[in-house]
Amino acid sequence: MQKESPIREPLILGNKSYHDITVDVAKPVLAKANKMWWIVFGISLVLFVWWILSVGYTIGTGIGVWGLNKTVGWAWDITNFVWWVGIGHAGTLISAVLLLFRQKWRLSINRSAEAMTIFAVVQAAMFPLIHMGRPWLGYFVFPIPNNFGSLWVNFNSPLLWDVFAISTYFSVSFVFWYVGLIPDFAMIRDKVNEKYWPLRKKIYSILSFGWSGKAKDWQRFEEVSLVLAGLATPLVFSVHSIVSFDFATSVIPGWHTTIFPPYFVAGAVFSGFAMVQTLLLVMRKVVGLEAYITIKHVEYMNIVIMLTGNLVGIAYLTELFMAWYSGVEFEQYAFLNRATGPYWWAYWSMMTCNVISPQLMWFKKLRTNIVFTFILALFVNVGMWFERFVIIVTSLHRDYLPSSWTMFSPTFVDIGIFVGSIGFFFVLFLLYSRTFPVIAQAELKTIVKSSSEQYKK
Amino acid sequence: MTKQKKYWKGLAELANDPAIENLKHNEFVEKIPVDDFLGDGETLSNTSTSRRDFLKFLGFSTAAATLAACETPVIKSIPYVIKPEEITPGVANWYASTFYDGNDFANVLVKTREGRPIFIKPNDLSSAAPNARVISSVLSLYDSNRLKGVMKNGESVSWSDADTDIKDRLSSIDGDVVVLTNTIISPTTKSLLNAFSKKYAAKHVQYDAISHQGMLDANKDSFGQRVLPSYHLDKADVLVSFGADFLGNWLNSSFEKQYIANRNPKSGKMSRHFQIETNMSLSGSNADVRIPVKPSEKLNLIENLYNALKGNAPANDKIKDIVSELSAAKGKSLVICDSNDKAVQIMVNAINDMLGNYGKTIDLTQPSLLRAGDDNAVAQLVQDMNDGKVGALIISGVNPSYTLANAEAFNEGLKKVSLTISTALSMDETSTNVEYVCPDRHYLESWGDAKATLNQVAFTQPTIQPLFDSRQFQESLMTWSGDDSDYYTYLKNYWRSKVSWSSSLHDGLVELSSDSLSVSSFSANVNSISSQANGLELALYQSNSIGDGSQSNNPWLQELPDPITRACWDNYLTISATTARENGLTNWNISDGALNGDMVRLTVGDRVIENVPVLIQPGQAIGTLGLALGYGRTAAGKVGNGVGVNAYSLAIDNNYTLSDVKIEKVEGEHGFASVQLHHTMMGRDLIKETTLAEYIADPKAGNPDLLFDTHKGKLFADEVSLWKEFDHETGHFWNLSIDLTSCIGCNACVVACHSENNVPVVGKEEVRKSRDMHWLRIDRYFSSDMTEEVAEEQGLGAVSKYKAMEVPSENPDVAFQPVMCQHCNHAPCETVCPVAATSHSAEGQNHMAYNRCVGTRYCANNCPYKVRRFNWFDYAENDAFDYNMNDDLGKMVLNPDVTVRVRGVMEKCSMCIQMIQKTKLDAKRDGRKVLDKDAQTACSIACPTNALVFGDVNDESSEVRTLKSDERKYFLLEAINTAPSVFYQTKIRNRKA
Amino acid sequence: MSKKVIYGIFDDEEVLLKSVKEVRSKDISIKEVYSPFPIHGLDHALGLERTRLAIAAFIYGVIGCAVAILMTYYIMILDWPQNIGGKPSFAYYLNMPAFVPIIFEMTVLFSAHLMVITYLFKSKLFPGQESSSPDPRTTDDKFLMEIESDDEKKISDLLKKTGATEINVKDIA
Repeated sequence: MQKESPIREPLILGNKSYHDITVDVAKPVLAKANKMWWIVFGISLVLFVWWILSVGYTIGTGIGVWGLNKTVGWAWDITNFVWWVGIGHAGTLISAVLLLFRQKWRLSINRSAEAMTIFAVVQAAMFPLIHMGRPWLGYFVFPIPNNFGSLWVNFNSPLLWDVFAISTYFSVSFVFWYVGLIPDFAMIRDKVNEKYWPLRKKIYSILSFGWSGKAKDWQRFEEVSLVLAGLATPLVFSVHSIVSFDFATSVIPGWHTTIFPPYFVAGAVFSGFAMVQTLLLVMRKVVGLEAYITIKHVEYMNIVIMLTGNLVGIAYLTELFMAWYSGVEFEQYAFLNRATGPYWWAYWSMMTCNVISPQLMWFKKLRTNIVFTFILALFVNVGMWFERFVIIVTSLHRDYLPSSWTMFSPTFVDIGIFVGSIGFFFVLFLLYSRTFPVIAQAELKTIVKSSSEQYKK
Repeated sequence: MTKQKKYWKGLAELANDPAIENLKHNEFVEKIPVDDFLGDGETLSNTSTSRRDFLKFLGFSTAAATLAACETPVIKSIPYVIKPEEITPGVANWYASTFYDGNDFANVLVKTREGRPIFIKPNDLSSAAPNARVISSVLSLYDSNRLKGVMKNGESVSWSDADTDIKDRLSSIDGDVVVLTNTIISPTTKSLLNAFSKKYAAKHVQYDAISHQGMLDANKDSFGQRVLPSYHLDKADVLVSFGADFLGNWLNSSFEKQYIANRNPKSGKMSRHFQIETNMSLSGSNADVRIPVKPSEKLNLIENLYNALKGNAPANDKIKDIVSELSAAKGKSLVICDSNDKAVQIMVNAINDMLGNYGKTIDLTQPSLLRAGDDNAVAQLVQDMNDGKVGALIISGVNPSYTLANAEAFNEGLKKVSLTISTALSMDETSTNVEYVCPDRHYLESWGDAKATLNQVAFTQPTIQPLFDSRQFQESLMTWSGDDSDYYTYLKNYWRSKVSWSSSLHDGLVELSSDSLSVSSFSANVNSISSQANGLELALYQSNSIGDGSQSNNPWLQELPDPITRACWDNYLTISATTARENGLTNWNISDGALNGDMVRLTVGDRVIENVPVLIQPGQAIGTLGLALGYGRTAAGKVGNGVGVNAYSLAIDNNYTLSDVKIEKVEGEHGFASVQLHHTMMGRDLIKETTLAEYIADPKAGNPDLLFDTHKGKLFADEVSLWKEFDHETGHFWNLSIDLTSCIGCNACVVACHSENNVPVVGKEEVRKSRDMHWLRIDRYFSSDMTEEVAEEQGLGAVSKYKAMEVPSENPDVAFQPVMCQHCNHAPCETVCPVAATSHSAEGQNHMAYNRCVGTRYCANNCPYKVRRFNWFDYAENDAFDYNMNDDLGKMVLNPDVTVRVRGVMEKCSMCIQMIQKTKLDAKRDGRKVLDKDAQTACSIACPTNALVFGDVNDESSEVRTLKSDERKYFLLEAINTAPSVFYQTKIRNRKA
Repeated sequence: MSKKVIYGIFDDEEVLLKSVKEVRSKDISIKEVYSPFPIHGLDHALGLERTRLAIAAFIYGVIGCAVAILMTYYIMILDWPQNIGGKPSFAYYLNMPAFVPIIFEMTVLFSAHLMVITYLFKSKLFPGQESSSPDPRTTDDKFLMEIESDDEKKISDLLKKTGATEINVKDIA
């Protein structure tokens, strides 16, 4: 039985017994949804419909309905892709890395973080598919020979590395998530009263794979969690490194940068935590989990945000330094153009949101203030979107030959697909929050004695 | 023992009927006289059907069967012009032919596939090379707006009815019969016209849409002959052009070859080219010294030059060098001028006479016969028409209702003419105002002859069966003059006696026993031409793509960007930045980069044109405007209608330079379709250039070796490569050399590429979105006042330096750079394609497998040259893109050897791989090696100055091999070591340091 | 005398742990322990040997790595070596750097998925499986010890003594 120093602040507030935890976690699933939930869900659903229409129009008519041109071949599509993938990093990172470091405070948030990861990666994966000129031939990217012989895929292509990285990341995250879910589904199963809800009972007993909490199963469970964490941790880093290779291995000034992998990973963690923050702050209110997602949790995450924010900031400065130091005119112009060219506004909103605003986190008052945290988290999300936009569009629109320089401006379809994907994401997340145990209660119970308020008295 | 079983053949046999018995013994009712037929030789020979007859029958029936099998369908699908056995489906046939539409003249070879003309290339036997418009003319053949038959007041009627009616009325007409045509250079047509004139006492009036009256009359006065001289630019060491855009449209007699012939730095000698002009023209952009002047000032300078050369006056500072260099190069110089004013041309003649250029660089004894229009006669005709003196008017080859400045008067006059006939191919502006339209044939459907000079005749021959119920103008003339034979026979009989018919038809042209023109020595009184114009001055010009506007309905030409402004689908007022500022006019880029500009109301005398867009043009003389003719068609067809404004209406009395022009800014803005939005090189050495002097001193001048510092010392890019290279020593290794010194930016290659590779036309809106599909583009860069050095001196920061670098100079140097896929041997695009749709060939080409492409566009993003083009939509079979690929007629121009790309697929230059394959297969068939120059690309074929040289560098004898080892050779963006298969040669200007 | 199953139900994992040690010291074999969450030290107390899933995962990883190497080798070098951007496809080692990401991802993919499948298989967890827990409260806040014995009295006394809050006994027919 592990003990924790009394100096540490409790991670569970109030006199929560094991049973209370069970009840609290099962509540959102068993109880009826409140008005708030329906409103948010309705809005997301509308956006989701917009997404469907935009995507349908694109596939039906052609990529020409987007704002792209001969010089800027990627813009919002890949911006959104990288943005979502980045967001999709916090989940696995929180569970895996913090598990390895035995950070108990992860336990109240990892479930939702992982859920968010999975839904975010779903959004991300959509973009490489629909940005294709001929999405119905998407299966060409899998290692199968073509109908006429041995024309395979090209393993030199970073885009193909993406295919493997994203699919691996998605499936492994999903499995990791589900393994943790099984005991909690079992809990719900046992809570559901068969008399009133026979169907629910059935569904949850299917979902729980007949878990019964035997000692041996628990032993395996912990082993599997540990190994998965060990695998997922390098995976998290690899995925965004590979995404960054899309740019780093190219020849375009502003893309061709060796610091991209660490810089992108930092950025991913940064945006990921920001998104987790955004969601949990809403969720702890909506489904009433203030006792489990405490100010302490919020503060810890804010510290991570500040840290990664500074890493990103250093990356920005390094880029500028390298451009100057390289003495390559194309490189130098690319970065001057970012800051002073036609897209200066994008560059500076990126700087403000990602580098300047997180500095406020140095103040404990601010980083423990829920409202402020929420606003800042939104800022970071916006800022990170701009970062990807800056990298992709401002590098492409003025590259080597001035004769082909031009500009990009989005069409309503571009906007529809982006905003719609957010709606899609929330639809999934809200459904999750009503039907899944949003806190890893089984594991949380293990720390009641060590880090809950009552035992720390 | 077996029992013999007996089967009865029938009851009759069972009943032992004797008849049956009988039959059993002789089977055949009648005896067949086999023996007495074959047995006895005599009877055999006497039989009516002898062995010979039998063989004849056999032969006949076989032949009949064969014919029956192939006759009708074959003739329908492949309209043979020459011996059918030469045609193999899938193999192209080439026919020599000649293009002349009253504006452009060229000797061409026409490529036909299965009886469809699909490509036009120069005829190497002649110097008259096709320009962009002539190469595009193959698409005009398939113009869906062409007339399908005779029209009478908009109703279609039969030829026979039309002919009878026309003949009756012609013979019984009161008032004169007039035939209004473009300049006729066809001897047979001339004689047919004479025959016609005899019959109906008809007048023949020749009319040039773009008048050269001034020059013709000047030569009449000066030398007694109303002709245009032929020039020898290759002999001119000092070439002074006062506004004459000879590389563009001046006289349209392909001067490029001559010009470049005398500008080869290897020879250590280049002509000095001075251009004194108002608009930035193609010639001006290639000039060694370009002096922007107002039209009025130009005249003063000419006069000043004249006086200075005479020694009567000191030379104006602007032309000091010109005077000295001209007088130093007597007999080896040339002064030309675009003015349509007799007095001015006389003075120019006088100057050339003083310099002793006649007989040396100018030849009047072998004049150019391409222009003979008589504006006075036309004016008179319009007068007579309005006075009701004209009874019948036959219009052929011209479109006066559109091209005449006083078109209204002409149209009024038409109403007073009782019989009006047009032979236009489509319902153009004139045809809509006449009674009869008897559609002529496109030149690719026609027979014809052309005498551009006295000592040469070129022939036009049909390359396809007439698409519609049309009839050649000549044949109409014959019919109307009561001659019922056909024009082909007439033509043949006319020339048979003079030249060897079939061989000259095969060559497309033949030298004639040279009869030359006798001219008197210069004798004309030179009057002062000094002028004082006030207000803005306007100079009208022909655009490189549309020319006189006769082919406005040709989508290839409409989408062909102007080499200087890089805008297409438009004409506009070009204006200098200063003048624009003074008049509060601006251009700006909207959020997607597209160029927008202000619009003005343009007033010249009593003529007003509303909403003329204004485009700021570096090099435009301050206080002047330029406007292209040939736009603003109202009855050109679905493509050409309403594109731009009609500038002909301003050319009163065929005066193409107008003074006292007023512009006032009007509401609204205009969107330009410009394929290049950024005009300077931003201090990057994309186009390496140097001066002749420096080049002679050091052949590597302006093109230093690019070396990388390594631990092994300084090394070349290919030596620091990390990779084990693929072998390109064995087999073919196709390379393309582009000489920036001889590239004049004429756009011929662009259109040739367009036509060879089925490049889609996307229309103005898409071009505005930077989605033009040209596989080959000619980048045009202006020099800027701001350079690294200047920034150094002024101690400018990088930001302000680059800001300043974006602004071109007031009178910039211009450089052209054709850019197509560079076929990099370290291709960034190939590496990134996830599905291996683009990979490299053993022969050095970058391949594109269209049906493997899923369209991620990653390759295009990663292409440093931005030469890859994405199919944003379906461009074929799509009503949103109603150009040639959307109707069955227009599709006939498609090259069957090249895939038409579907939407969502990346496409780009393939180095005309289909042509290379053909060459290799031919060589294989003939069991020989591929010879240098066998393999060509569309662009290298079309280039009139041989700036693009294609070939196999592994072939010792190839020209491209030598060029690859030339000191001037460099790779575009060599520093990123993409190791392209395309390389450039430094641009050299003959400029005094 | 018939065999019985005795269920001792506890409220606190620490009490349970003590009792398990107690019972085992009297060398009575404990059939199974059901708990709502993993209890540290319980597996030792019950004398379960440690699981070998980690080793399995490692082996699966090695397999995945091998598969990836063979796949890239066959596709890029053996079956159709193309000239792609001039990258040397003459020998595997020349082109291999470009395949490292793929190899890594495949390793993780195989390792993770196969291990989880093994785990589910070994623990007989799959959709449609019914819970084998004798008391649904074991997923909430109760801890249940299951002992088979014919001496019911002795066992239940022992359990009571060691802090079981509730004892249920069931015959095995």
